[in-house]
Amino acid sequence: MLRGVDRTALSEQDVKEILPWIPPRPICRVEVDSVTGTHAHGFYIDCFLPPDELETQYLLANLARVKDAASCAIRLGAKIVSLGGFSSILIEGNFAHLPSGGETAFTTGNTLTVSFIVRGIKRMCALERRDLADAKVLIIGATGDVGSGCARCLAPFVNRLLLRARNKERLSKLAAQLRRDGCPVDLAWDAESFDCAADIVICAASLPSPTFVLNGIVPDAIVCDAGYPKNLAPLSAPRAKVFHGGMGQVTGDLRLSPDLNGILNRHPLPNVAHGCLLEGMALVLEKRFEPFSQGRGFITREKVAEIERIADRHGICPAPLFNQAGPLEEPKARLLTRAVPKWGPERKETGPLRRVGVSGAR
Amino acid sequence: MTLIQELTKVCDAPVMGAPLTSIWQDILAQAVTGELMAAHNYAALAGICDDPEEMEEAREHAAGEEGHAAAFRAEGRKLGIDVQSNLEAKYWKRIRDAYMICVATRDVIGCLIVQELMLESFAVASYERVGRVGPGSLGRTFTAIAKEEEDHIGHALAILRNEREMDPAVFDEKVHELHNQVMTTLAEMLTSQDKNCQCEVCHGGCVKPVLPQVALSTTELRGASLNRYLKTLDLLGLPGEMTLEWVAQLPV
Repeated sequence: MLRGVDRTALSEQDVKEILPWIPPRPICRVEVDSVTGTHAHGFYIDCFLPPDELETQYLLANLARVKDAASCAIRLGAKIVSLGGFSSILIEGNFAHLPSGGETAFTTGNTLTVSFIVRGIKRMCALERRDLADAKVLIIGATGDVGSGCARCLAPFVNRLLLRARNKERLSKLAAQLRRDGCPVDLAWDAESFDCAADIVICAASLPSPTFVLNGIVPDAIVCDAGYPKNLAPLSAPRAKVFHGGMGQVTGDLRLSPDLNGILNRHPLPNVAHGCLLEGMALVLEKRFEPFSQGRGFITREKVAEIERIADRHGICPAPLFNQAGPLEEPKARLLTRAVPKWGPERKETGPLRRVGVSGAR
Repeated sequence: MTLIQELTKVCDAPVMGAPLTSIWQDILAQAVTGELMAAHNYAALAGICDDPEEMEEAREHAAGEEGHAAAFRAEGRKLGIDVQSNLEAKYWKRIRDAYMICVATRDVIGCLIVQELMLESFAVASYERVGRVGPGSLGRTFTAIAKEEEDHIGHALAILRNEREMDPAVFDEKVHELHNQVMTTLAEMLTSQDKNCQCEVCHGGCVKPVLPQVALSTTELRGASLNRYLKTLDLLGLPGEMTLEWVAQLPV
């Protein structure tokens, strides 16, 4: 699109070669309308993290990119910066790396992401006529900010939590906390199976490619792909009901200028974005310029309820359930009449054009 | 020069086989051509400067660029090669023509945009990369000259920033026009698809496909140059979304 109609589109290889050299920069203006009539605007800043370089060995280089993007947001005068996608994951445990920006507040946006994941699980259970109270819920990436937040929110409602993460110490600490609250918990720190099969899986681990196989789940398990990118294929469970978790929809209006819909937002529904980005928008609409979500492991049920109230008030709701194949439920009637983006459901979010970024709003 | 210095100089010369020497010969030829063109550009700029101080400064820059060309040629001699240059080579001539249009219209700002913003960004980024992999004094020379060129950019940025503040829209439009001429040509020079281009500087076949033999690639040189160029435009205050669109339209 940026090359214009007269030029040949860049090949995937060309994009892969060029992308890592582009310094973080705003790539479009974002305007959001609340259902209350308030309005906010900002920018979508892209870090241009190379999709093939998300592993630990590139951590420092990627942190430097996010830091540059944050500086860019400060230069633009952002009052709040919502870290999005992989930048949020990189920064949740490294907030000290962010530049100090006077009046600029940074939020990972993870609290609203957790809210959308949990509400998505509940809706998917209703859609599939499953009882959450009977479910054994496996959380992959359980010690991350999003994974642990989901565990805390779901603990009172499920039969059992099966937690998987690589960090034994953090996992044990989380389990102790959940058990104190009366939730049965099983643990694993590698790909080994649990004693019982999971009925519901939340994959909150972000991997450049799905290197693990979903073993140890019931054949028709509900699978929430809550990582970034959304690249989880149910390799060992073709009957699994997969949906993209953590996604929200603006029922007021969301406009990008230039219109990069179909490039930034490859979702089969209009006005849909990741919860982390929408948290920043909700806070701006509420005029709460504060670091609502910071650090790792601080997402509580109370915080989730609070951001839900704020987001709901402005018409920022969980997106209708969908996956790579398209919508899984009927979208809201009002939004059906809006122009559906040009992309097709066959497009995956794993290509080289996948963006992660920082969203500034002022 | 003392005997020890002479010996050190000789001993520092890298030992390499003929194919690698041939690659460095072409890399040096591009560098020397670029430096000589910069020297001509600064000399022409001196001719249109009204301020005697600026005129003198432009002349000093011209002499400095000639010195860089001489330093690169000296590195060639250490390798036993005679580094040629060709200011009439098709890509370089096209860039030179764009610059001379600015000179003809006494457009000092246009000259600074082409030389300092575009060509020096390209030079600094490329030389830094070559400096990392160049053996011995060859690498050190590229690195040192990259540092000197970087200082030019810093000086010009202050002038250009002031100019932009007066009328950002007019300034940005001027940069865009020159970008279309100069950066498009530089991008064509480094295009990866045309691996057998006749740039009229390489002494034999095109050097681009064999750059990996000296741990370089057109992808890296192009990428580093674009990165440097975009960061420089950012420092001037040009909107990032606009400059991204500009570079997205360059040949690949």
